Amino acid sequence: MKPLSPAEHPLRKYFRPHLKRTTTCPGCGNGIVGQAVLWAIDELSREDGLSLDDFAFVSGIGCSAWVPSPSFAADTLHTTHGRPIAFATGIKLALPRQKVMVISGDGDLSAIGGNHLIHAARRNLDLTVVMINNGIYGMTGGQTAPTTPPGLRTVTSPYGTLEPNFQVAELVRAAGAAYVARWTTYHPRQLRRAVKKGIRKEGFAFIEAVSQCPVQYGRVSGLGKAVEILEHFRRNSVRLEAARGMDPLELEGKILVGELADRQEEELGRRWRRLHQALSGEAA
Amino acid sequence: MKAHRPLPPGIHFIQGNQALAEGALAAGCDFMAGYPITPASEIANRLSQLLPPAGGVFLQSEDEIAAICAAIGASWAGRKAMTATSGPGLSLMQEGIGFAVATETPLVIVDVMRFGPSTGVPSVGLAGDVVQAARGSHGDYQIVALCPESAQEMFDFMIQAFNLAESLRCPVFVLPDGFLGHMREQVRIPPREELKLVERRLAQGGDPMSRVDFLDPQVAPMPVFGRGLKAHVTGSCHDRHGMRNLTDPQVMHAYATVPQEKVLRRRDLMPPPAADYQEGEVVLVAYGTVARSARAAVALARQRGLAAGSLCLKTLWPLPAAELARAARAARALLVLENNTGQLFPYVKAEAAAHCPVEFMGPRLLGQIHEPEAVAARIQEMSP
Amino acid sequence: MPQVTILSQSCKGVEDCGLCLHVCPQGLFSPSEQTNQAGLVPPRLEDAQSCTGCENCMLYCPDLAIVVEKGRREAKP
Repeated sequence: MKPLSPAEHPLRKYFRPHLKRTTTCPGCGNGIVGQAVLWAIDELSREDGLSLDDFAFVSGIGCSAWVPSPSFAADTLHTTHGRPIAFATGIKLALPRQKVMVISGDGDLSAIGGNHLIHAARRNLDLTVVMINNGIYGMTGGQTAPTTPPGLRTVTSPYGTLEPNFQVAELVRAAGAAYVARWTTYHPRQLRRAVKKGIRKEGFAFIEAVSQCPVQYGRVSGLGKAVEILEHFRRNSVRLEAARGMDPLELEGKILVGELADRQEEELGRRWRRLHQALSGEAA
Repeated sequence: MKAHRPLPPGIHFIQGNQALAEGALAAGCDFMAGYPITPASEIANRLSQLLPPAGGVFLQSEDEIAAICAAIGASWAGRKAMTATSGPGLSLMQEGIGFAVATETPLVIVDVMRFGPSTGVPSVGLAGDVVQAARGSHGDYQIVALCPESAQEMFDFMIQAFNLAESLRCPVFVLPDGFLGHMREQVRIPPREELKLVERRLAQGGDPMSRVDFLDPQVAPMPVFGRGLKAHVTGSCHDRHGMRNLTDPQVMHAYATVPQEKVLRRRDLMPPPAADYQEGEVVLVAYGTVARSARAAVALARQRGLAAGSLCLKTLWPLPAAELARAARAARALLVLENNTGQLFPYVKAEAAAHCPVEFMGPRLLGQIHEPEAVAARIQEMSP
Repeated sequence: MPQVTILSQSCKGVEDCGLCLHVCPQGLFSPSEQTNQAGLVPPRLEDAQSCTGCENCMLYCPDLAIVVEKGRREAKP
C-alpha cells in the first residue's frame, strides 16, 4: 500500500492548511455530513464553476456547528447560539451573489433558533441550510432536544422525556421552503445530492441530516456506538414515497427520508432586485 | 412606483427620529434591520422608504435578536449597517452586541430610550439604558455611546456614529430619549460635499494565517466577505487570525483587553462635552434632553448672581474622564442631572469625588426633565 | 483496480468508530495489529484485490482517513 500523506485526500484542498486533525468524537456523524457537503461543492466546482470562495458558511453553537468552522477554507461566521440563520439573512441580503450556507445542529436551529428558521423559510431567501439532527444536545453533555424521541432518559429528563418531538423537515416545508429533504448519515450519497440540489436551488433549501452522536445519544438511547446507530438508521428509514401507502402506526419511530418539497417560488433576493431596478429607473 | 427621496439640503422642521433617519442615509447607511418599537418605529418607517431607492436594504426582522444578527451579518458582507430600537429591544440584543464587540464588527445601534423597567411607558422618555448600553452584555468590554440633545444632533451624530464605527470596528450607540425622538425642531441638512465620511479599511489579500484580522489596537483591516479572503470570524476567544483559541492565557487576555484598548485610545475621534464653567462654580453635569434643563438652570442661577456652570456630555461612553476630572478640579461641586435614578452618576463620582463633592439630582417626577427653577434652587443650596 | 489508502494517523480507531469495517460490502477491513500515534487502532485492508471501488469506506469515514481512487491502472504481471 502506497503511503499517502493526509494532504492527499481529495477533499483536503477544501480545508484550512494549518489544521491537522478533526475535532469530532470517534464515530460522530458530523464528518460524514461534512464530507457530503464538500463532495457536493467539489462536483459543483466542476459542473458549475463554483469555488469555495463563492460561499459564506455560517454556523451556530454545538458540535454540528464545528463542521465548517474552523475547517473549511472559506469565509466563515461562527455565531451565537441559535442565530446562524439570522446572521446568514443579513449576509445574503447584503451580498446577494454569495452562496450562503448554514450548517448547524437540531438544538441550535429548531429550539433556540426556531423562530429564525421558520421566518427564513417563509421569506424563501436563497440560503442552503443543513441541519445535522442527532436528537440531543451533545456538546453540553446530553440534554433533551426538541427532536429527542419521547421516553428517553437524557440528563435533563432523568425520568424519561415527557414531551413530543418536532419533525423539523415537515415544519420547514409548512413554513414555505422551496426545497426540503431529509436523509441520514446512512445515506451519504443521497445527502450529497440533496445538498447539491439545495445549493443550486434558488430559494430556501433545507436538508435535515439525521446523524449519530455515539457518545451522548448512543448512551441515552441504549443504541451504543456509531455502527449500531447507523444500523438503526438503516432499519428505520422509510422512503417518503413508500410511507404514503403505510399505516400511521407502522410509521411510529420511523425516519422518513427523501424530498419533502421541491417547488418554484420567487426568491426574496430576486424580489429585492426587481424593486431596486424599479426604483432606480424612476430616479433617472 | 414612486421612490421616496431624502430631504434636500437646507433648513427643515422635522421630528427627531426623522432627522436621525436622514442622517443615517447621509452617513452612507445601506442596510437596516429593525423591529417595530415605540418610540423608535419612525426610524424604521423612514429608512424603509429611503434605503431601497438608494440601493440599500431594509429588513423588518422577526424579532430584535434577528435584527442585530442580520445587521452584523450585513456588516461582514461589507455594508454600513444599523438597527434602531428602544430599551426592551436593546435588552434582547445584548448577546448580539457582545458578538459585535468580540468580532470587531462596525455597527450603529440606535436606542430611543423610554420609561422602564419592563414595558413601562413606551412613549415617555427616560435615560433608562445608559448603563445597559455599556454593560448590558456579559463580559468586560468597551463601546462608544453618543447622546444627542436636539433634532440637529440626531442628524449630526448619525454621521459621527457611522464614522466611529468604521474607524474603530466596534458597535457605536446613539442614545436619544423618547422626547427627542418625537419632538420637532429645526434641522439644517448640509449639502453632501460638506460631509466627511469614513470607510473601514479592508484587508487586501493573503490568507488568514499570514494576516492580522483582529486584535490590533490600531484597528486591523477588516476581512470582509466575498473577496476570497477566507476570513474566520467567531465569538469564541480567538487569536489575531480569528482562529479559536481556548487554551493560551496570553490569547485570552488579548482577546478581552485589546478591543477595549482599541476604543479607549481614540477618544480624540469622539465628540467632546460642551463646557461652560469657570473656577469655583457649581457645575451641572448633564446629557441629552436634560442638558437643556441644565443650561436653562445655569442661566437662571447666573441671573441671581450664583456661580454656576455646566458640562454637557455628548459622548457618554467611554466616559469623558479627563474632562470630568478637569471640571471637578475647577468646580466648587458637581451636580449630576439625569432623567433616571442615577445611572451615569456613580461613574462620574468615581472620576470626580477626589477633587470636589459630587451630588445627584433627578427630576421631581421621573419621566419629566428637570424644572430649571428646581435645579437653580438646588444650586443655591450648594452655594456659599 | 481501485486503490484504497488508509491514513492511519487521521483514524479515530475501529473500537469506537469502526464504520469502515461495517459498511464495506465485501467485509474487507479488519483491525490493524498496530496502533497509530494516538494509541488508537486503525483498520487494515485484508484483501485489496476484492475491492470493487464502491467508495463506501471513504464516504462513511468521519475523519477523512480513507481514500479510494478508482480506475488506477496497475502494470499487469
